[in-house]
Amino acid sequence: MHTYGKKISQTIACLAVGVLSAGFAQADVSQSQLSAADKDGSNFLHTNANYANTRYYPAKQIDTNNVSKLRPAFTFQTEVLESMQTAPIVVDGTMYITTSYNHVYAIDPVTGKQKWHYKHKMGPVTTYCCGPNNRGVAIMGDRVFMGTLDAKLVALDIKTGKLVWDTQIADPELGYSETMAPVAVNGRVLIGTNGGEYGIRGFVKSFDAKDGKLQWTFHTIPEKGHEGVWAVKDSTGRNMLRDIPAEKAQLAKQGGDFYKTLGGGVWMAPAVDLETNSVFFVVGNPSPDLYGAERPGDNLYTDSIVSVDLNTGKYKWHHQYIAHDVWDLDAVSPVILTEAKGKDGKMTKVAIHAGKTGHVYVHDRATGELIRFSEAMVPQDGLWTLPTKEGAKMMLGANGGVEWSPMAIHPEARLAFAANLLQPMTYHVEASKYPGGKLWLGGAFKTIPSEKQSGRLSAVNIDTGKVAWKFDTDEPLIGGVLATAGGLVFNGEANGLFRAFDAKNGKKLWEYQTGAGVNAPAVSYTIGGKQYIAVAAGGNNQIDAKRGNSVVVFTLP
Amino acid sequence: MQVHPGLFSCPSLENCMNTYLSFACCVLATFVSFSAPHAWAQMPAKAAMCIGCHGENGNASMPNTPSLAGQNARYIYMQLRDFQEGRRHNDMMSPMTAGLSKADMQELASYFSEQKLTNKRFKADPDKVKKGIAKADETLCAMCHLGEFKGQNEIPKVAGQNFDYVVKTLKDFKAKDRNNDAGNMTSVASTLSEEDIDNLAHYIASLN
Repeated sequence: MHTYGKKISQTIACLAVGVLSAGFAQADVSQSQLSAADKDGSNFLHTNANYANTRYYPAKQIDTNNVSKLRPAFTFQTEVLESMQTAPIVVDGTMYITTSYNHVYAIDPVTGKQKWHYKHKMGPVTTYCCGPNNRGVAIMGDRVFMGTLDAKLVALDIKTGKLVWDTQIADPELGYSETMAPVAVNGRVLIGTNGGEYGIRGFVKSFDAKDGKLQWTFHTIPEKGHEGVWAVKDSTGRNMLRDIPAEKAQLAKQGGDFYKTLGGGVWMAPAVDLETNSVFFVVGNPSPDLYGAERPGDNLYTDSIVSVDLNTGKYKWHHQYIAHDVWDLDAVSPVILTEAKGKDGKMTKVAIHAGKTGHVYVHDRATGELIRFSEAMVPQDGLWTLPTKEGAKMMLGANGGVEWSPMAIHPEARLAFAANLLQPMTYHVEASKYPGGKLWLGGAFKTIPSEKQSGRLSAVNIDTGKVAWKFDTDEPLIGGVLATAGGLVFNGEANGLFRAFDAKNGKKLWEYQTGAGVNAPAVSYTIGGKQYIAVAAGGNNQIDAKRGNSVVVFTLP
Repeated sequence: MQVHPGLFSCPSLENCMNTYLSFACCVLATFVSFSAPHAWAQMPAKAAMCIGCHGENGNASMPNTPSLAGQNARYIYMQLRDFQEGRRHNDMMSPMTAGLSKADMQELASYFSEQKLTNKRFKADPDKVKKGIAKADETLCAMCHLGEFKGQNEIPKVAGQNFDYVVKTLKDFKAKDRNNDAGNMTSVASTLSEEDIDNLAHYIASLN
C-alpha cells in the first residue's frame, strides 16, 4: 500500500511539473518541486540534479540506440572568455547559466534567446586560487541564489535577474571566496567557502532565503579537539608515515590556536536528506597545503565527510579519509546519497564520495561508518611518501584521482561514474608562516615531464567496490559526469570532446568537438517532447585547458 | 652592499646611486611638467614618487625594474604592505613605504593597475619561448598565475614583464633572497636551472 501510494504521488508530481513546463510560464519554484527533482523528467532543478546529488536524469528519449544522431540545437555564447564550471539549471522554460566572475544568464533552453543577464558588481578585494570560477546557482521560490568571488551570497529575482538582497558571507581579505553552487532547501540557502589555500577557517552556513540573514554556522575546524585520534593509517589502512611523537610535542609547545587558520574549505554543493533533516558534505585540505609541521594533529575535520543537522547545523558524525594531509588531497567531489549493499549484504542507505585518492568510499548514511572503498581507479605509487625540499614523487597527483568533479550514479546498473586525473607529481615542502590573506601552500607540487598526464572515466560497482569499466583519455579529466535513464553516461574532456558512453559497458557511442575545454558537468531537460543535453565548454585553469565561453545544447533531429 | 629584490632594484652600489639620481631627476621632472595637461591629472600625488623608476604610467624603462602598469591591484597593495611590515625588504622600497597609509597603498595600487602596459620592446627567442612554455606547463604555473600569466588577485600578472626583472625575481626566489611568498615560489624556483629561468623569462616577456 505504501509503495502504491508513493507511486501515485510521484505521478501527480510529474504531471504537475509537466503542466508547468509546457506553458513556459515562469512560476515560483516550490519546495515540493525541488524535493521531487529526482523524478522530474522535464526540468533540471539542482546543479547535481537533486538533493541526493545523484546526477541521474530520469528521462530516456535519448538512449543507447539513437545517441549517435545527437546534434547541436544551439550554442549560447557568454561575454566572458574564461573557465566554465557551471552546471545549468533548467526550470519552467528558462535555463540559468553562470560564468567566471559571477555573471548569470537566463536564456530560453529551446532557442538560446537571452532573457536577462546579471553581472555581479565585484567588491574591491577578491582572494581565490585556481581561477575566477563559478559552478552554478540554486533556485527556490521566486529567487536565484549565487555565491560570489568577493564572498557574498546574492539573491536575484528569478524573472528579471534584479538583485533582491546580498549578504557578506566572510571576509575576502582573509582568503574567503565562493565558487560553489549553493543549495536551497526549506527556506534556507546552504553554502560553504573556498580558502583552503589561504589559511581560512572553513565552514558551512545556512542563510534565510527570504532576507539573507545568517541562521547557523558549522565550523569545519573545531576550536577544541582538532588534533583528533592521532590516526596512523588512512581510510584504506595504509600507514601515512606521520611522526606522531614530534606532532604531539609541537602541539604541547604551540597550543591549538592555529584552528583559526587551519583551512578546511567546503567548496562543492552539500547533499540533503529531507527524511532525516541531514546535510552531508566533504571538507577540503588543511592550510598550509604541504607544510604540516606547525599544524600538528589530525587537523579535523579536513579531508573528511561530515553530516550535520539541517535545522541547526549541529554535528552528527564525521569520517576522516586522510589525517594530517600534506599532499593537498582535499575531499571535494560532492557526496551522493543512494542505496547500496551494507556489510551484511542487505541494501542500506549510504553516502558515497569519490576521493582525490582515486577510491570511491561508501558509508552508512546514519552513522558514517565506512562500509567499503573501491579498487583504486588510478595507479597509486609510493603512498604516503612525504614531501621534501627537493621534491618527492608520490602518485597520486594533488588534483587526484577525482577533483571537484561530481560523480553520477546509474541505480539500475549499480554503478558510480567518476572522472579521474592521472598526474604523476613531485611534492616539495617549504617552511612558511601564515602570510595573512596570501596564497599559503608551504611548498609546491610539480608534474614530471617524462611521465604522461592523462584521464580516466571509471565506473565503480557501489555494491562491491569493483571497477566495472574504464575509458582512458588523452587529457586529465575535470568537470563531472551525467547519467540518464537512457542508459547513457556523458562526460567531457579538456581537448573539447564531449562524449556519450553506454553506462553498462563504457562503450563510446558518440562524441562532438565543442572547440574549447569541456570541464563542466552536463545536464539534461525535456521541453515540448524533446530531450536536450547541455554542457559548458569554457576550459579550465588547473589543467590550463583551452578557454571558451559557450554552453552547447544538443538534441535528436 | 646587500641588495634585496624589490619593485626597485639596483645590482651594485654604483648602479644604486645612479638609480637614486635618475629617480630624483625623474621625480623632479614629474613635478616640473605637472602644469601641462596630461593623463597624470588623475594620478595620485604619491605616485609621483614611483614613476621615477617604474616609469610613466607604470611602464618601467629600467630593465631590472618591474612595470606596474596593468598589474593586479591586490598584488601591488600586498607587496607595498609587505615592504612596510618587513616581510619583503629593499633598500629603496622599504623606507619609501614607511609613511603610507592603507588607503595610500590601495590608491596607488588601483592607479597603476588601471594603466596600460605599453612597454613591449623585448624580442624573444622562439626556441626559448617554446622551452619556456613546456617548463611552465610542467611547473603548473597556470594554476596560480592563470593562463598566459595574466594573474589573479594577489598573484601577479607577469605577462609582458621586463625580461631582466623576471630573471632576477626567479633567481631571488631560488636563492631565497625574496621569501615573502609563503613558501610557494621559493619552492617552485628551487628546481629551476639557469636555463629554465632564461627560457621562462623569454616566454613571459613575450606575452602581452
